[in-house]
Amino acid sequence: MLASLGAELLKLRKRPSTWVLGCIWLAVTILLNYTLAYALLSNAPPPTVPEGTPKAQREQLREQQEEFREQQLEFLYPENLVSNLTPGFANLGAPIALILGALAVGSEYGWTTFKTVLTQRPGRLALFFGKLLALGILLALLVVLTFAAGAASGYVIAGLENAPAGWPAAGELASAIGAGGLILAVWAALGVLLATLLRSTALSIGIGLVYSLVLETIIFSLPIPNEAFRNAREYFPGQNSTFLADSFSGQTQTGFAPPEPPVDASQAALVLLAYAAAFILLAALVFGRRDVT
Amino acid sequence: MTESESRHPPLVETSGLGKRYGSITAVRDLNISVRRGEVYGFLGPNGAGKTTTLRMLLGLIKPSSGTAKVLGKEPGSPLGLQGIGALVESPAFYPYLSGRDNLRVMARYCGVPHERVAEVLGQVELAGRSKDKFKKYSLGMKQRLGVAAALLKDPELLILDEPTNGLDPKGMADMRTLIRRVGHGERTVLLSSHLLGEVEQVCDRVGVIHKGELLIEGTVEELRGGGGILVKVEPIDEARKIAADLAWVEGARIEDGMLVLDTDPENAAEINAHLVSAGLRVSELRPVARSLEDAFLELTRGETV
Repeated sequence: MLASLGAELLKLRKRPSTWVLGCIWLAVTILLNYTLAYALLSNAPPPTVPEGTPKAQREQLREQQEEFREQQLEFLYPENLVSNLTPGFANLGAPIALILGALAVGSEYGWTTFKTVLTQRPGRLALFFGKLLALGILLALLVVLTFAAGAASGYVIAGLENAPAGWPAAGELASAIGAGGLILAVWAALGVLLATLLRSTALSIGIGLVYSLVLETIIFSLPIPNEAFRNAREYFPGQNSTFLADSFSGQTQTGFAPPEPPVDASQAALVLLAYAAAFILLAALVFGRRDVT
Repeated sequence: MTESESRHPPLVETSGLGKRYGSITAVRDLNISVRRGEVYGFLGPNGAGKTTTLRMLLGLIKPSSGTAKVLGKEPGSPLGLQGIGALVESPAFYPYLSGRDNLRVMARYCGVPHERVAEVLGQVELAGRSKDKFKKYSLGMKQRLGVAAALLKDPELLILDEPTNGLDPKGMADMRTLIRRVGHGERTVLLSSHLLGEVEQVCDRVGVIHKGELLIEGTVEELRGGGGILVKVEPIDEARKIAADLAWVEGARIEDGMLVLDTDPENAAEINAHLVSAGLRVSELRPVARSLEDAFLELTRGETV
C-alpha cells in the first residue's frame, strides 16, 4: 500500500485540479470569513437616527453600534479562529471534498488508467486504500492550511485594529481540526463511492452536489410537523456535518451563534464516522470485485 | 507433457477458460499454453475474444469458467504481476503528466527504482520527448510509452494487445522492430493481433481464436500446413496418375493446367525423377507455400480478419 501511496501522492501533487480546488477553498474561506467581513465592519455607515432624537439617545445608539462592531471584530481575531472557520467545513468544504473524492476515482475510469495501474503490481485493495490514504493526507493538509491561513488573517486584522492577538486553546484547535477533517473525509468518501459505482466523474459529482447542496436541505426544510421526521435529521450526513461544525460556533460571545444543534458534537461525529466507514467499505467491495473493462 | 515442458512449465496456461456477459459468450473453453522464450501470437478477428482473454490473464476481469495460471500464479496476484509487463488495448496514461512523470508514477506502483524510467524511455526512443505532456503525444508515441511502461519491471513475460493498432505503416514497422528487439533472449512475448502479416513476421507460435473459441494452436509452419508442389508437365493426366501413386504424395489434382501435389516441398527432386523416368516432359517444378492467410481463411471458413 505504501508503493501505491507514493504514486497517488505524486499524481495528486502534479494534478492541476488539486491546486485549483485547494486554492478556491482557501481563497473563498479567507475572503468570506475575514476580508469581506473586515471590509464591511470597517466601512459600516453610522446609524440612521430620526430627526429630533435627543443627543443623549443619539450618543447611546452610536455607542451601541460601536460595541456591536467591536464584538464582530473580536470574532475575526485569532482567538476566535475555531468558531469563525469550522462551520465553513460543512458548507463550502463538503462539496469541495466531494469533488476531490470523485475526481480521484472517476478520472481513472474516464482515462481508463486503472487497467494500466493494475497491471503494474499493486493488488486492487492496496491500490484503493493507497488512493484513499493519499486523499486523506491531502484533506488533512487542507484543514491545517485553512486554520493557518485563518490565523494569519486574524493576526493581520488584530494588528490593524491595534488589538492584542490571543490564540485559541490547543485542545479546542485540535478538536476543530479533527472535526473539519472528519467532515471533509465523509464527503470525499461519498465522492469516491459515487465515482466507483457510476464509473464516471461528471455524473458522480453532479449527483453528489445535488444531494449535498439541494436534496437534504430541501427535505429537512419542509414544514412537516412530525416528530419522527424531525428526528430523522439526526441520521443524515449533511445534517450531522452541520451539527458538528456548528457545535464549534457557540463559543463566540457575539450573541449571534446559530441555534443549538439537536445532537451533541460527539454523536454527530459518531454518525459521520459510521457514514465514512460505510462509504469506504462499500466502494472497496465494489472496486475489489468488479471487472476492469 | 514432454521432458522439456516438465522442466520448463508454460508461462501461461489456461484450462477451459471462459467468459460470459449475460447471454453473450465472449470466450469459450479456451486452452492455450505459452512457452518460455517464445513470441506467441494470439490471432483473431476483431471481437474474437483476444482482449477479453488477455484481461482475464492479467486479473482485470474474472473468468466465468475455467482456470488460468500466469507465471505459475493466479491471474492478477501481485506476485505474478511482478514478472509481467502489459499493454492492453490503447495505451492509457494521465494526460496532465509528462511521459516521464507517467512512468515515474508507474515505477512507484510496481516498486522499481526511478533510474529504470530513463532506461526504458531510451529503449523505446522517447527520451527526447519525455518532458512533453502525454496528451500532446502522437498515437505512435503513446504506443511506445505503453511499451516502456510494460518494460519497467524488466518482465519475463510481456503481454501486448494489438500494439500496432491505429499506427501508420512506418509506425507499424517501427513497433514490430521494437517488439522483436524487446522479445529477444529469455523474454516471452504474448502478442495479440488481427494482422496476419504481423503475426507471421514476429511470432514463433500462434493460437487462432474465432468467436471466442481457440481453433488451432501451433507454429506458423504447422498452421500453414505442409504446403505442396506445383508441376508443369506434359502429358498432365498421366503425370497425375503417376504422382498420386507415390507414397509421399497425399493428393494430386489439376488446377489451371498445372499439377498440384499435396506433399512436402522437400520431395521435389524425387518427384521430378519419377516423372522424367516415366518419359514425361517436366518444364517447371516449384514449391507452393500456403500463406497464414490461406490457413486462417480455411480455419474460419472464409471469414476475413
